[in-house]
Amino acid sequence: MNREARPGDLLTIDRLVHEPARLAILTILAGAKQVEFGFLEQMSGLSKGNLSSHMSKLETAGLIAVEKRFRGKRPLTELRLTPAGRRALDNYRKQMSAVMQALPSSDRSPRGGKSK
Amino acid sequence: MAAIRKACAGPQPLNEMEALTRSYARYSRSAGGLGSVLGGVLCLASYFTGALLPSTSAVSGALVAMPFVWLATKQWLAHSYYQRFGRVEEQETRTDRWTHRFCVAVSLAVALGITVFGLIGLGNLPAGALAGLTGYLALLWLLPLAAWRWMRSATDFIVGVFLICQAALACVGQAYPMIGVSPDASWHLTLTALMFPVVAVFMIAAGIRDHRRFQSLRQRLEELRRA
Repeated sequence: MNREARPGDLLTIDRLVHEPARLAILTILAGAKQVEFGFLEQMSGLSKGNLSSHMSKLETAGLIAVEKRFRGKRPLTELRLTPAGRRALDNYRKQMSAVMQALPSSDRSPRGGKSK
Repeated sequence: MAAIRKACAGPQPLNEMEALTRSYARYSRSAGGLGSVLGGVLCLASYFTGALLPSTSAVSGALVAMPFVWLATKQWLAHSYYQRFGRVEEQETRTDRWTHRFCVAVSLAVALGITVFGLIGLGNLPAGALAGLTGYLALLWLLPLAAWRWMRSATDFIVGVFLICQAALACVGQAYPMIGVSPDASWHLTLTALMFPVVAVFMIAAGIRDHRRFQSLRQRLEELRRA
């Protein structure tokens, strides 16, 4: 993002994406075309129930697509990032990057000296 | 503000998650690992066996079996060994997609061309050669199917084409020529055939490198699972 970040930018950040568990899910999905539920569970460290709940929210928002089928007798759930999801993640990264650059450095005290 | 910075700091785990997923996904398509090593070894074995050993039924049988052994083992390794943490499909780039389509189109054109010429020359064929020709054409038509379904990288395609074409030639009692061994063969065919063992050596090296990368990737994924 080329323009300078404004204080209000922080308020426009997509809260659906900003939630850490959902951000982790979207980030993992961004690395592949399609991901099986089991892999996502291991990578994110989320429980099955928690993961399913976040998945539903992301699916309802149209950020991910969930496909359920059977491989033999075994149920198989596969997820992929939709184009809207990819755009949302890219926008989030740009917004956060701009906000982070606009934040004052934490290693300086208000007087300008080094903090302990 | 400091609290926000602290909360948002540490993009490294997220970057790592994405990088690990990307690396792992490669083993569904472009990284062959031990499957590539086997493909390279079988390609060398097929090249030297076809050129150096007499065309007996045992040798022909071995040459015909090689592409099937490779494709079956490669698929088994990709699904059961390299994707042991769950299936993750690699994202194809536009170049990958067009390269793959081009390879399938080339193999389809070759199969079609040879079939048409084979059917034209069918009238002059001795009666006993019909079974061999049927096997030849069947393997030839396996080529575009295998290229479409299982050969996703350029080295996979080159080695796969060689193994299947060598198997097809074995059905009619022939094999690719080798320099110094087949003096009657045309020089351009001999030189073209030389490309296959060279690619096979590169494929073995790439397979070993991919397998080593997978071992460190597996270690990292297991650490994450335990954490």
